[in-house]
Amino acid sequence: MSGIRIQGVSKHFGDNVALKRVDLEIREGEFFSLLGPSGCGKTTLLNMIAGFLEPTAGEIAIGGRDVTWLPPYQRNIGMVFQNYALFPHLNVFENVAYGLKIRKKPRAEIRSRVEESLAAVRLESFAKRMPHQLSGGQQQRVAIARALAIQPAVLLLDEPLSNLDAKLRKEMQTELKNLQRRVGITTVLVTHDQEEALSLSDRIGILGGGELQQLGTPLEVYRRPANRFAAEFIGQVNLIEARPLSDGQPASPGLLLFAAEGFETEPGKPLLLEAANEPSLKRGGPVKLMLRPERIRVSGEPRERGANCARARVADVSYAGNALRITAKLEGSGELVIHAPDPSFPDLPEPGQPLHLRWQPEDLIPLLPEAGRP
Amino acid sequence: MKTRGSKWRKSGFHWLLISPSLLFLGLFLVVPFVLLAVLSFRDVDSLMNLLPTYSFAQYKEIFTSDIYLGTIGSTLWVALVTTAICIVLAYPAAYLLVRSPNRKLRTFFYILLVSPLLTSVVIRTFAWIVLLAQNGLVNEFLLKLHLIDQPLSLLWNMKAVIIAYVQVMLPFAVMPIATSLEDIRPNLRQASMSLGAGRIRTFARVTLPLTVPGMISGAAIVFSLAAGSYITPLLVGGRLQPLLPLAIYQQVMQISNLPLAAAMSFTLLILVAVVVGLLGLIMKRWEAKING
Amino acid sequence: MARLPSAGASSGRRRRFSWLTALVWLAGGLVYLFLILPVFVIVLSAFSPEAYPQFPPAGFSLKWFSALLGSREWLDALWISVLLLIIVTPVTVVLGTLAAYAIARLDFRGRQALQSFMLSPLMIPQVVLGIGLLYVFTSTGLVGSLTGLAIGHVIVAFPYVIRSVGVSAANLDPRLEQASMSLGAGRVRTFFRITLPLLKPGIIAGAVFSAVTSFGEVSISLFVSAPSTVTIPVRIFNYIDQTFDPAVNAVSVIFILLAVIALMMIEKVIGLTKVM
Repeated sequence: MSGIRIQGVSKHFGDNVALKRVDLEIREGEFFSLLGPSGCGKTTLLNMIAGFLEPTAGEIAIGGRDVTWLPPYQRNIGMVFQNYALFPHLNVFENVAYGLKIRKKPRAEIRSRVEESLAAVRLESFAKRMPHQLSGGQQQRVAIARALAIQPAVLLLDEPLSNLDAKLRKEMQTELKNLQRRVGITTVLVTHDQEEALSLSDRIGILGGGELQQLGTPLEVYRRPANRFAAEFIGQVNLIEARPLSDGQPASPGLLLFAAEGFETEPGKPLLLEAANEPSLKRGGPVKLMLRPERIRVSGEPRERGANCARARVADVSYAGNALRITAKLEGSGELVIHAPDPSFPDLPEPGQPLHLRWQPEDLIPLLPEAGRP
Repeated sequence: MKTRGSKWRKSGFHWLLISPSLLFLGLFLVVPFVLLAVLSFRDVDSLMNLLPTYSFAQYKEIFTSDIYLGTIGSTLWVALVTTAICIVLAYPAAYLLVRSPNRKLRTFFYILLVSPLLTSVVIRTFAWIVLLAQNGLVNEFLLKLHLIDQPLSLLWNMKAVIIAYVQVMLPFAVMPIATSLEDIRPNLRQASMSLGAGRIRTFARVTLPLTVPGMISGAAIVFSLAAGSYITPLLVGGRLQPLLPLAIYQQVMQISNLPLAAAMSFTLLILVAVVVGLLGLIMKRWEAKING
Repeated sequence: MARLPSAGASSGRRRRFSWLTALVWLAGGLVYLFLILPVFVIVLSAFSPEAYPQFPPAGFSLKWFSALLGSREWLDALWISVLLLIIVTPVTVVLGTLAAYAIARLDFRGRQALQSFMLSPLMIPQVVLGIGLLYVFTSTGLVGSLTGLAIGHVIVAFPYVIRSVGVSAANLDPRLEQASMSLGAGRVRTFFRITLPLLKPGIIAGAVFSAVTSFGEVSISLFVSAPSTVTIPVRIFNYIDQTFDPAVNAVSVIFILLAVIALMMIEKVIGLTKVM
């Protein structure tokens, strides 16, 4: 029973409101990520779960036990810090054994647990080394071993991989995920890297401006962002404002017709959009629609005219190896960003090259006007 | 050899800059030292005139005399006690300096710490006379509160000397320890607490060991100051205190036995050098352990 | 889901108070009190109408200050101290600045040893320095002279300049000087136009510490001064040792005031933390 319950928690630093109000329940054994830009309050929240900060209001419980006023050393947590925080005057073994020594475990037990933990992160032979002799990745693994050796109720990670280079980071992410699966410990990861959050988590909490903007599985968060903040933070997005058209019938039932603002297929002719009919669109006012760049299909030949398609010219091309990022200017007005996997084109498109763009009605996701709550 | 030439050219300028200082120090620091060393091997007659002969007589006198050996012993003892007290007291003071919540408070503490250092040592010592004299403040206070009927004789003993030493030298211990404290990354403390160690245990196992460099620096400075002071013990302890620097002063000013004074000076110097050297060795070992 | 038992809820805002922290602050406060006690005592005495200080103060009087101004001996001592200050400070600052900068830029095996050598007067017991200089000066006839005193003061003040300018020099990016030279300025010009201005904080701090050290120097001065070259601290010493003149308190207060002003000046101009 080691889930984390955060009720009505807010944090003020004098006049500065770091966290407005957060209600959150992290399930036992879950890998949960707190995702958001810098300054959004995610580290503040983590520090409150750990006990390094006290909430201005609200309560925090770990495993059903109210820990709001308990100091960190009474909460039975394991924490991994951004810059590893290994004790420089102790060797690897002593670092990992630290928490066990504090808990006055017998020598034999300490030895076996430390060896176990080091084996779990594949650093068995490094026991006698000093921290300064280790690489960044190795130090991070020792930090994880140290946190897990005490078998805490929860594992808290504060941007643990952001100091590593890209390749090492990917490797560590996989290791971390496997480790967590094996051990089954409730884990909270704070990160600003949305790819990391998406690939590791069971659920993600997106924080922005001191509030929870969305809570959901990676799939939910990516495919159906709750609002503009969530949509823009995760992945890339094309945002289109549109108003409904009462005249003119959509091609099939169950769809609604909209005219985009700021986007024109030809000068004077607004872009037509057909989106799936759903409760949030029934109201009838202007809407914000989100279109993911990878959902836009590109072809060299024109298809039919109508909604959900447009002619455009290449404005800019970025080649990332595995994908092309094309910024296309519609013939009338407006720009759309397109992600095309490689090799969609035999040669890279040139600026000015004509393109025909197409997408499906279900690719248009309506966004709620304010910070929605799940 | 082009690189060699340009390197010399580059550093030639810098050597030029440093040469006046080297000359000055060489002339007025090294030369007096050498001469003093030579002097310590000269003999004197009963009227304290210098004889043209050389021998170990002065050193023999120091190391075979009970009085002088006792003086050396108590000098070391006083210096050690002073150092120990200073180190212990330095920690809370350094803590306040480092953990002050705002800059104004920190500057305030800093001024409290450093301004006594900028006054003359006579003044700092003099204050203790005013405090501890028979008609001084402490006695006044105690008499007023009727805790005693007769004024206490607080001056003219070694305890007064140690108290005055601590007050004079404490800032020299606080500053390096404060620097060491500040250098400790804050999340080492957090890491320790997250692993279950409370404040006291975190201090003992993480903070204290990591302030060892500051502790050693501070100890070295305080020890050498305490072992070498004569003004303070003279004014506060009276001329009769068995301290080596005091004995040297008296040999020079009152007895005029310069070779003996020179020998005592070198003895003092070597004692201090040995202790400071030992401390330096410990420091080196520690740095190697932490930084490789 | 049952309501969580939370003891804190009913008592409202239960702040986590640490007895340990309070204790440490108390201990630290007491230490600072102990450090400042002498200053407090001296100030009390200097303004007290009696020869001996009273607490609570018996009254307020400036008579010891006016006694100072009327005393020939004190004014003579002041003159000597100020004269020394004017001679010693520039010499020390120039020598020390050049040396500290050179050490920062030189790169050879014995560099650390050289720096230790420059800082050594700090670690050598001043009684030893005193007697060494006394011996040399006696042989060369400098004993009791102003020159001799000045030399002694420079030696003692020198490490302070090395330290503060050294800190500034260590923070001085050599690429700035390289840029200057790449633009055509020679070594000397670069030194005056680029290096020196950037070393200013260290130089100013070094000058202040050097001045203050010289003004308060007594351990060496006692050995090498004569009745005609008595400085203020030496005078103070003589007075304490031999007589008891409450005017000493007044002098001390002035000293302390100067020290505090000096520190505040440095703090305003550069910021103390950058210098030590």
